[in-house]
Amino acid sequence: MKRTGFFPAFLGGGILAAIIPAAELFFRRDSYTTGDESSLSMVLGSNWQMMAMLNILLIVSGACIMYHTEYTDRGYDKMRCLPIKESAIFLKKVIVMTGMCSLIFIIEAAAAALCISHWFAFYPGFSEELLKSFGYFFLLSLPVILTSLLIASACRNMWISLGIGVICVFTATLLPAKSFVLSLFPFALPFQTLAGTTHQEILGFMTASVLETIILGIAELIYLKIRRSLL
Amino acid sequence: MNFLSLIGIETKKIHRSCILWILLVATVILWLPSIFNAHLNFEMQAEGISPEHNFFIQGFLGMAWFMYPASMVVSTVLLNQTERSNNGILKMLALPLSTVKFCLAKFIVLLFLAAVQILMTIGMYFISAVIVTRTQNYAFLLSPIFVFREAALIYLSSIPMLAFFYMLPVCIQTPIFSVGIGLASIVPSVLMINTRAWFLYPMSYPFYYITSEYGKLAFRLDTFNVALVPWLPVATVLTLVCMTASCFRFGRLKS
Amino acid sequence: MNIIETQDLTKTYGDFTAVSHVSLHIPKGAVYGFLGPNGAGKSTTMKMFLGLVKPDSGSFTIHGRQYPEDRLEILKEIGSFIESPSFYGNLTGEENLDIIRKILGLPKSSVADALELVGLTPFKNRLARKYSLGMKQRLGLAGALISRPPILILDEPTNGLDPIGIHEIRTLIRSLPKQFDCTVLVSSHLLSEIELMADNIGILNHGRLIFEGTMQQLKERALLKGYPTDNLEDTFLALIDADNGKGVNGYESGIGV
Repeated sequence: MKRTGFFPAFLGGGILAAIIPAAELFFRRDSYTTGDESSLSMVLGSNWQMMAMLNILLIVSGACIMYHTEYTDRGYDKMRCLPIKESAIFLKKVIVMTGMCSLIFIIEAAAAALCISHWFAFYPGFSEELLKSFGYFFLLSLPVILTSLLIASACRNMWISLGIGVICVFTATLLPAKSFVLSLFPFALPFQTLAGTTHQEILGFMTASVLETIILGIAELIYLKIRRSLL
Repeated sequence: MNFLSLIGIETKKIHRSCILWILLVATVILWLPSIFNAHLNFEMQAEGISPEHNFFIQGFLGMAWFMYPASMVVSTVLLNQTERSNNGILKMLALPLSTVKFCLAKFIVLLFLAAVQILMTIGMYFISAVIVTRTQNYAFLLSPIFVFREAALIYLSSIPMLAFFYMLPVCIQTPIFSVGIGLASIVPSVLMINTRAWFLYPMSYPFYYITSEYGKLAFRLDTFNVALVPWLPVATVLTLVCMTASCFRFGRLKS
Repeated sequence: MNIIETQDLTKTYGDFTAVSHVSLHIPKGAVYGFLGPNGAGKSTTMKMFLGLVKPDSGSFTIHGRQYPEDRLEILKEIGSFIESPSFYGNLTGEENLDIIRKILGLPKSSVADALELVGLTPFKNRLARKYSLGMKQRLGLAGALISRPPILILDEPTNGLDPIGIHEIRTLIRSLPKQFDCTVLVSSHLLSEIELMADNIGILNHGRLIFEGTMQQLKERALLKGYPTDNLEDTFLALIDADNGKGVNGYESGIGV
């Protein structure tokens, strides 16, 4: 992973996504009206779609690069000859990617907090709401991490995995947000926000996310087994 | 070595790359929701747009906003990786071949892939329009002249964007940065088209154009009018800058 | 007459000097063996001839032409095989050669000839990424030979070949000057191999040319210095050892110059 620019890329991506709400508030502070919603859910409501999109694109390209570095110069073939399981390699990548995602979510949460303190004011229960929101985002992003890595591990050519990833992201943007079932598509989950969602749906999304993560993990294991047996 | 056969060579290099399949799948997915939700086109009368125009414009909006730019980023990755994965470029540079020609021929291939995807989109439009005409008992088909004209203008407006995408992997050797910047640059185009400085942002051109067409077709919707000045001069300069940078950097090995 | 001449060719990467003040003299029609341990600067020098690496200082002429002014003219005369494998993995061996053929503007038959020359004809329709290392190596050689160029630059062409393959390629290289009236610059880290192919040799160590001349001159010099001469491999090792002992600044030009 060294010298692939992976860490700076995630850092940069996180900062870029964090700039979005600040820029939006800077230019369009007037469009915010005081309503029933908390200021955090207003800020996230008008910016999260874009931020989530950036996060997903970052995850997709990150996953492609992770396996691309393995496949170029036959690094992966070497790894296969070493006494480590392929599934362990996958798991390590999942862990690294999850860590990176936590990093970008922390940056974005910090940015959201700064925006609130600068343009609005902190209010009771703010930190709790912030933690809940970003914890929710994090949980709902797990299936994307797994899916992207699964796709990337299956394709030797980076453009194919990237192409499939891009198509998945695109599909997610086309799915109607109102439909609960369609929103369960792994790439559509990270677009969800807490605000405007019923308690039951939130629970549903969270359960679905955990289930998808587990299923995708098992799918990768099965895939690796089959691939190995076909060698 | 004439330029045409060089383009032929560059096209040959992407044989068996599956790129056409990726472009096709993206196009098919683009039109599927339009087919399933065709009845929604009748609810857009409030904006003052006819159902058949709405059907057309919604699909092309989806294409110009994300699918088409993202597919083109993927295509640039393909063009670059075919050269780099087995060091093919090293052999090319050791042949008596002008690097500028080489670089331009590759860009033409990208323009070709872009044209292919736009043509696929048109093809899928006609197929879906026929299907929807049957399911909704309403004539959704628009005149081919209109459709091709709109598509051609989207294509032309996207050339500066393509030049920018092409420049990224040529100038930035680390794949994650070139891919990341390419994909990330698509996202803000929604914001950019609403600003006065939209013409400085090539990634927003196709989306800006089709949105303004939307405004023309929906007479109750006020979007924007495409002003050719300063757009055209700026777009030309940006394209030239990107292409010059690409040609200059092309084939420069780390030495 | 020398077909390739360099003058004080130097290339540094950061604080690492890859090639240092190298002045080579490669006679026309000869097989010139370029010898040195791994990382001695052989590939870098050859890449400079092809314009793949820019020299920091010094100059070279190839067939009386200067780099960088006549880059394309120089490249028209050179068939090269550098840092293999370099090919397009998604294309077959034949398609790979066809690309080179088109760029060089050669007749269609030249692809089949080149494939035949390196013994790849039975595998011409296989994807290049599915080739074995030896086959990739042969494909690279075919790409260098396809235009029957007056100058051939071959960087470790026998790497990854089996003993029979090595013998075949060696015989081929040996026969090239007579067959196609060309000059061959071939590099290797094995003196035993160069000995069987080359008329003249140049030995590089740490980027410096420590010997240039004929095989006979090398032996004479070894005798003079008291190095072992019955086994050339030992001569080479002694030469490199002595040079390493001198430290980086102890530049000494070869007696053949």
